[in-house]
Amino acid sequence: MLYKFIQAIDHIHPLLDAKAHCDVPCGIYDPISAQIDALTVVRMMDLMAGLAEGDEKARVDFHNSMSRYIAVKEEHAEKAKNEIRVIWGDFIKDAHVEKYPELPNLVHKIMQIGSKCRQTADRDNGLAFVESINKFAEIFWAIKDVKTKKANAPYAPGLEMVYPDL
Amino acid sequence: MLKIIKVTGNSLSPFFLSGDYVLVSTSRQSFKRLQIGDSVIFSHPEFGRLIKLVRTNNPEIEILEVEGTHSNSISSHKLGPIPYSTLLGKVIFHFKQSGG
Repeated sequence: MLYKFIQAIDHIHPLLDAKAHCDVPCGIYDPISAQIDALTVVRMMDLMAGLAEGDEKARVDFHNSMSRYIAVKEEHAEKAKNEIRVIWGDFIKDAHVEKYPELPNLVHKIMQIGSKCRQTADRDNGLAFVESINKFAEIFWAIKDVKTKKANAPYAPGLEMVYPDL
Repeated sequence: MLKIIKVTGNSLSPFFLSGDYVLVSTSRQSFKRLQIGDSVIFSHPEFGRLIKLVRTNNPEIEILEVEGTHSNSISSHKLGPIPYSTLLGKVIFHFKQSGG
């Protein structure tokens, strides 16, 4: 509520800003980290599903493996979200949003699906996470005038990914 | 005196995200009492107006060292010592965006 009020004032009379840039300012931005993180999320979901299908629930090994898969899924879903936030916050400018007006909704969608991937083990959420981050990568490279190509990742789960065509 | 300032960039994520607002106290008296981990806003000759966390505070010589929290933040070494004279204020309240 208070935030919205200040935001409204900011729109009318722009407030001073202070940069918390991910500074160096190196200009090195690449969505591939987020794409690989999202792929890892799907891989962990697959491993979890495979493990659950076995008849080993009583074994300590089962719990050990399952907890490790869940921890990695959690970590990479959050890392993917953070990578996208950094590009969104530090690289994307107003002019980019004007050219690609779908960007704000896409970033918001990535944040929400990323949270769903943490909350559930539903592979469909994982696939949607990869797909939406691929879409983000496509726009990112278009902004940089770099052509992209689609190819299956050369490792499990082998999903289709967007890569810069250099 | 108090000011509201908008945060841009993610060097302090996940604590501060781009688009958040902060209320800052510009009272010079408060600078000597800055603690490690407090957030400050200052003008840097090379990088402009920045928000960072206090890493060390030396009130005797009125110098701070600051740092970000993100792995890609400018290092304290690169930023150099931050004299009190360049401080614009200490963050005393954080207006976060909803959700998360």
